Amino acid sequence: MVDLQEAKKDLWSEVYDNPNLRYCFNCGACISGCPASNADPPLLIRNLARMVILGMEDELLDEDTPWTCVTCSRCEEMCPMDVKPFELCLAIRKWQCANDSTRIPPSIVEIYNRGYTQPVERNTEQRKELGLPEKLPVLGEYPDLLEKFRQMLMKTKIISDNEFMFKGA
Amino acid sequence: MEIGLFLGCNTPALRPDVERAIRTTMPRLGVDLVDLEGFVCCPAFGTFPSNDDDSHLAVSGWNLSLAEKKGLDLLVECGSCYSSLQTGREHILSSEKRKDRVNELLEPTGRSVTGKAKVRHITDVLYNEVGLDKISRTIGKSLEGLHAVVQYPCHTLFPSELVGFDSPPARPHILRDLVEALGAEVDSFSREYQCCGGAGGFHNTSAPEAQRYAKEKLDAIKNETKADLIVVSCITCLMHLDNVQKHLSGGNGAYGIPVFDYNQILALCMGENAREVASICSVPRDAVNARF
Repeated sequence: MVDLQEAKKDLWSEVYDNPNLRYCFNCGACISGCPASNADPPLLIRNLARMVILGMEDELLDEDTPWTCVTCSRCEEMCPMDVKPFELCLAIRKWQCANDSTRIPPSIVEIYNRGYTQPVERNTEQRKELGLPEKLPVLGEYPDLLEKFRQMLMKTKIISDNEFMFKGA
Repeated sequence: MEIGLFLGCNTPALRPDVERAIRTTMPRLGVDLVDLEGFVCCPAFGTFPSNDDDSHLAVSGWNLSLAEKKGLDLLVECGSCYSSLQTGREHILSSEKRKDRVNELLEPTGRSVTGKAKVRHITDVLYNEVGLDKISRTIGKSLEGLHAVVQYPCHTLFPSELVGFDSPPARPHILRDLVEALGAEVDSFSREYQCCGGAGGFHNTSAPEAQRYAKEKLDAIKNETKADLIVVSCITCLMHLDNVQKHLSGGNGAYGIPVFDYNQILALCMGENAREVASICSVPRDAVNARF
């Protein structure tokens, strides 16, 4: 049982500072047609909106479901109150990362290191077979640009706050 | 026209035959492609956009400014890359404060974001810049006699005010028209406008549920259409609808509906070799390729 007397009433302003959030009337249009509402456990954006509005901080921090979103943004089109549920979903992820560094996806370290998560520069054999130029003008081909890319990212908050994660680069 | 080619990462890394198809077909339609030196991850929604605005918009700005420096717009096939770049651009330009911050971060590169470079999905360019007539006139072989179904990339539809170019957004028609211009008959079916379900965390966190979700779509195609092939225009739709059939069929070929990116089937209609433009797949494409 959740005791709403204990809830953090101004949580919404920390998580998602969009005044339209308070107009959410639980209609469920964001869930209808949402692919990830079929996941196990299901992504139910309407419920997440409630948790933010009611200030259920601990429960929201433990929610894994925002990370199952397919990012299709259908919910943004369907929401009659312009809550922008996909933006809300990303906002919850950002808030979780800011409050719990174990939430930070390792993929950003990869991008910091190489510019990508996929091995774009490595399948030269296959490219050759297909008659493609073997090399793409990827970031790693330009060491000075790669250095500038890393320096730029190091100035951004999430990375400078978690510098230890990028030290091995 | 000249346009900057934004390949993203899945296409060159996992399906370079699609890259070959794009590089081969677009110039023949008068769209010359220019590579961007030092492009990076779009950024994918599960990366920086899930961390903080500062790093998200810095990475969007990095890519947009590469195009701006060359005085070009960006051409994108991958739905996620398209949506990420398009919404990133909008977030940067809609606030002076954010724009100043991005340009401050970009300053050491000598590049900036002012909004000159636009982001275009490849089906938008094919439909609105090249046009159906020119496509029909350019191909040497047609798909006449074949039935197709289409998978619209959600990232090019929603939210329509930011990313949309088709109308009405929830009942799009551009990809259907483009396939019809190649001579195929495009069949309608009940789950035509349903997402493929392949992007983001759904398939990674709930594989059986995501496969069941795709199965509903494939069952509808099997039961309600005469489809010989599925045509998509997004690398995620392509890989997911193709690879998922392997899991669903359990090796018995129960579905066996080949999936093509639009530019792959376009390349075949232009007489290109399937070995170069449409060779990487889970579901064999032989039945369709044999026509060429």
